[in-house]
Amino acid sequence: MESFIATGLIGISLGTQYTLLALGFTLIFGILGVVNFAHGGFYVMGGYVAYYCNVILGLPYPFAVLMAMLSMAALGWLFEAFILERVIEDHQATLMVTMGFYLVMATAILMIFGAESPQFPFPVTGVWRLGGIYFPYANMIVLGACLAAIVFVYWLVYRTNIGRGMRAMSEDLPVASALGMRTKALFPFAFALATGLAGGTGALVTPILALAPHVGDSVLAFSFLTVILGGLGSVTGATCAAFIVGLIEAYAAVYLGGSKGALTLFALVLIILVVRPQGLLGREVRRS
Amino acid sequence: MTLGLGRLVCGSLIASAGLVGAVSACELKIGVPAVLSGPAAQWGIALRGATEFVAKETMEEKRLVINGVACTVSVKSIDSKYSAEGAASATSALAAEGIKVIIGPVGSPEVTGFKPVATRNRMVAMVNSFAKNSIGPEWPTVFHIGPGPSGWAAPIIDVGLQRYKFKTAAIVAPNDQGGTDIASVNADIFKQRGVTVTEEYYQRGTTNFAPIVTRIMASNAEALDLASSPAGDAGIIVKQIRQAGFTGPIFRLGGPGTDEIARVAGGLDILKDFLWYEPVYMDDNMRALEQKYEKLMGSVRPENSDFFRWTFAARMMIKAIQAAGTIDNAEKIAAAMRTLPVEDEHIGKGYWIGQKFFGINQEMSYPFAIGVIQGGVKQPLIRAEAVSEK
Repeated sequence: MESFIATGLIGISLGTQYTLLALGFTLIFGILGVVNFAHGGFYVMGGYVAYYCNVILGLPYPFAVLMAMLSMAALGWLFEAFILERVIEDHQATLMVTMGFYLVMATAILMIFGAESPQFPFPVTGVWRLGGIYFPYANMIVLGACLAAIVFVYWLVYRTNIGRGMRAMSEDLPVASALGMRTKALFPFAFALATGLAGGTGALVTPILALAPHVGDSVLAFSFLTVILGGLGSVTGATCAAFIVGLIEAYAAVYLGGSKGALTLFALVLIILVVRPQGLLGREVRRS
Repeated sequence: MTLGLGRLVCGSLIASAGLVGAVSACELKIGVPAVLSGPAAQWGIALRGATEFVAKETMEEKRLVINGVACTVSVKSIDSKYSAEGAASATSALAAEGIKVIIGPVGSPEVTGFKPVATRNRMVAMVNSFAKNSIGPEWPTVFHIGPGPSGWAAPIIDVGLQRYKFKTAAIVAPNDQGGTDIASVNADIFKQRGVTVTEEYYQRGTTNFAPIVTRIMASNAEALDLASSPAGDAGIIVKQIRQAGFTGPIFRLGGPGTDEIARVAGGLDILKDFLWYEPVYMDDNMRALEQKYEKLMGSVRPENSDFFRWTFAARMMIKAIQAAGTIDNAEKIAAAMRTLPVEDEHIGKGYWIGQKFFGINQEMSYPFAIGVIQGGVKQPLIRAEAVSEK
């Protein structure tokens, strides 16, 4: 029973991290119609910005996380406004541009920081224990921060005019534009919001796992898997799918083993997509 | 007319001189398929650093002289990405450049992908990998830089059993040949000593090991072996299993990388009780080699101590090329290598082994060391003699 509860905590932890990543990924697809292959790159770079601020410059960790979010948001804004915007109508070009940008980011990190993992410890150590159940304080803090960020994104998307504008563009871009929604401002904003979330997640998660130039690859894979499962473009779908993926990953890995866990996860997602190709909460046809 | 004839003669002379120069030039290009990205990058960096060092050393000290001409030696490194396809692709690219002499690759999946391409392109190579088929009679021009856990895991486990009491152990490794081959060999050695073993495998690319840690904790293992998990992965596993309350000794019966494991895990205190295979026993000779590297290359040597084994391997290859008198005939170089004694100016004498385990006597065996961290404090290395089949 104890390991069942401990596994549930692991699954929820993973789910919140995947939610933050998947929300950004799905926002970009829903609003811009772009599959952002550079998403993992913003996650890793966010981790390195936080590492640089916290370990190299000696700034407080919360400030380092904030810097990671802001710098990745700024980078995302610039990337969308000056590069992606030029090819936004061409889906194949956007794939190539985002993939190319990821390679540029990964190589830049490799050149600046090297291939080896730096020591980037979470400032809070210690573990909460109750019998055989344990939960590191660092994971608790990250869980809380991720939940707060998820609430913020929901508030922004569903309770503010900017969010309404973004959702309107996601629903029907030509009509939203005709009604005065400014794509020139909202596209970069949506992109910056997504990359800021990815950077913040990187800053929060890499100290409790590991920071290395390659860790964005698996992040991209899981973000992609999550939003496909939830339904591309669906914010609520991505959130539900992220928790499903996190919990399946954790329970399958614990009760079936590391290798079989991954197999179970991918097999289950495959079955869901065969039965429901549009994902859990996605629409059958994207109109914009 | 006279002027025209003179120009013709002069032109011919210049062309002939150029031709003679081209024929007598000796330019050895060494190919290095090395993992330079991902969690195993530290191993590839050591391989590349060692080969570049030996190339420079060879030129500076004129160690390779063929037909009276001192050879230039250059190194071409390509990221083999710790995968069979990455290594095959890197080796094909090296073959396309006409490279015949290879140092590397590092990992078992890489060596698996490398060998067919290298054999097809008639290359001679010094590979690593702890796989059960790293070398073999099917690949007569492929040599091994040193034994895997079958050669050195037993004495390390014995040291562990002397210092700590445990009757059960868990082994965690990636679920590909780079993990399963090593974990199964380690498991057999643990079992021979009366230790009950459970094996846990994970998908390469996993970043959160909490579920695997939960499984290990549920198995009530009293000791853990990280086997050949890349240093980056191993660091996360150590960090998470110590957080989960695991207090037993941790073995690292795979490639070296303790410094990186400690860095990722959060320091020596987290490693606490840790034993590992160290490729060399650090003594004055090894320190002299480090200083030589610093002097020649202008920087400290690559952190991973596999640097030393790759240095000995690359030097051995240079000696074989010198003995063969050719820089591009793989068979001749391999034949020459087999006749040379295993010996290096810094580590001393070793043995050719491999007949018993691989069916071919093409594995270099030098003295090695056992590393121990006890109570979070690094202990002096324990010297172990070279494995011999005699």
